[in-house]
Amino acid sequence: MTFQTHDARILEVKELTSREKLFTLRFVDPELNRSFKYKPGQFVIVDIRGFGEFPISLCSTPTREGYFQLCVRRVGRMTKYMHKLKEGDIVGIRGPYGNGFPMEKMEGSTLVLVAGGLGMAPLRSVLWYALDTGKYEKIYLFYGTKAYEDILFRDEVIHLLKHGEDMNCHVKLAYEVETPSCIYLEKGYSPRVCKGVVTDLFRGETFDVENTYALICGPPVMYKYVIKELLDRKLSPGRIYMTLERRMRCGVGKCGHCIVGTSTSIKYVCKDGPVFTYWDALSTRGLI
Amino acid sequence: MYAPVKKGNIYSFQHVEKPSEIAFDYTRTMLPPKKFFVRPKDEMLRLKGGKWEESNGVEPIVLFGVHSCDIHGLEILDKVYLDEPVDPYYKKRRENSIIIGMSCMPDEYCFCKSLGTDFAMHGFDLFLHELPDGWLVRVGSVKGHEIAWENEELFEELTEEDMRNFREFEEKRANSFKKHLNKEGLEDMLDLAFNSPVWKKYEKICLGCGNCNMVCPTCRCYEVCDLWMNAYEAVRVRRYDSCFMESHGLVAGGHNFRPTRLDRFRHRYYCKSYFDPSAGFNCVGCGRCDEFCPAKIEHVKVLDEVREGLQ
Repeated sequence: MTFQTHDARILEVKELTSREKLFTLRFVDPELNRSFKYKPGQFVIVDIRGFGEFPISLCSTPTREGYFQLCVRRVGRMTKYMHKLKEGDIVGIRGPYGNGFPMEKMEGSTLVLVAGGLGMAPLRSVLWYALDTGKYEKIYLFYGTKAYEDILFRDEVIHLLKHGEDMNCHVKLAYEVETPSCIYLEKGYSPRVCKGVVTDLFRGETFDVENTYALICGPPVMYKYVIKELLDRKLSPGRIYMTLERRMRCGVGKCGHCIVGTSTSIKYVCKDGPVFTYWDALSTRGLI
Repeated sequence: MYAPVKKGNIYSFQHVEKPSEIAFDYTRTMLPPKKFFVRPKDEMLRLKGGKWEESNGVEPIVLFGVHSCDIHGLEILDKVYLDEPVDPYYKKRRENSIIIGMSCMPDEYCFCKSLGTDFAMHGFDLFLHELPDGWLVRVGSVKGHEIAWENEELFEELTEEDMRNFREFEEKRANSFKKHLNKEGLEDMLDLAFNSPVWKKYEKICLGCGNCNMVCPTCRCYEVCDLWMNAYEAVRVRRYDSCFMESHGLVAGGHNFRPTRLDRFRHRYYCKSYFDPSAGFNCVGCGRCDEFCPAKIEHVKVLDEVREGLQ
């Protein structure tokens, strides 16, 4: 049934920061576990039985089978319950929903991932996918965070900062609040680590616009500035992908919470998105 | 069987036992027939022993006396709820219902003629058109044919005179509309008028109560929540939501995509005036939003003013 969820067991809970936890899950039904396929950028609806449902993007990659991961920030009532759950607990999952990033179309190109804060979660799926398949020419990751303590998947990001070049993966990091750890990182990896905002990381970077795709995810305020940087470098709007957030209740285009646009172009973020190109944003008002 | 019943000054679809209870000359009910398919408060799932179970089955119903605009309204809901993935609750209720349409005379709020929803060609099982000496019945589905077949004794052959009377009635009806919506290029016009001062004017008049959403036959936003019945049982309930509520555009972390009443007011007009090439506008011109608006905002007038502002 459309709104029935499937039992998934929490295999591991990892504290990423003081606000975010990473949940590794697996469906209880082994058959479902095998047939569960998704694309980077898609999302699922998590059902905490008797408390409610919330949408969340998948932050693991489909190239690693048998489990999937969700990065949950504690911001409201539902996520607070989620944070109380432990290994072995069961939650309901339905999905995957949404369109996801066109990974196959982008094969052979350079990917510029621009993440702001929690936006790292869906882009981590793309990052891992690209690293696992090795089908992309070059990968840039521009990541802007508030402070060192807020860096999501810190060990992975720092590992790639150190060794990413060998895999054609170039990581750049911007932080806003100065702490000893940041200064240490900056000393080691300047200018790839700097104090500032994510757009500062574009300084001095040029891309082969014919062969580059940009993938953006971050807080609403970020899009305008990042897109400007990309357009300044003559990247076509059709090569700029972004993934958006709305209060999706159903995930399948019924409940109406994610409707955006005007009388000529109405879009459901849940089923027409959540991944959109900048062309979509230009033709659909209210998208960003 | 549910049919329009008069209670005070308001008509509503109610359970009826005998024909005398039915208000045959009603103008419009406060809540449209969507209330039978997308319920104001609707139990979806029931949690028993840690597992969700589908809530109880659906009772077959007959909806009698549905006006043409409301039939069109249901067809717009069909587009959304029966589109893949199908909404199982809506589908079950639609399949278990018989829709009997009934002709009507417009009042000062109706503007369905402008939108082409004043006559229904499908979306019903039987449609009754009033004649001086009875009803002209149109059959709109297999189910309708079956009803007519099984109750043959109730029907007579159509005569020339009946057709003449039918035409006269329809002509009289077509000439009785007082309100007209200029829908020529409406969606493009609105697209250009995003910053029209008219929106700002109405933002101050609108109370933001969401009444127009509740009574609209095509508004369908819903919110979902879980409720505990006792220590062992919970239900997952969905209920009507309104895009006029501040919480509608809220996402995690407190960011709101439609933070002001201006955004929300405008959004409703854009949503209603969205033109789908296969289904038409999202508005059927039933006039409910006008009649039941406590601030007396008139849908057609707002759109006309926006259009004038552009010229």
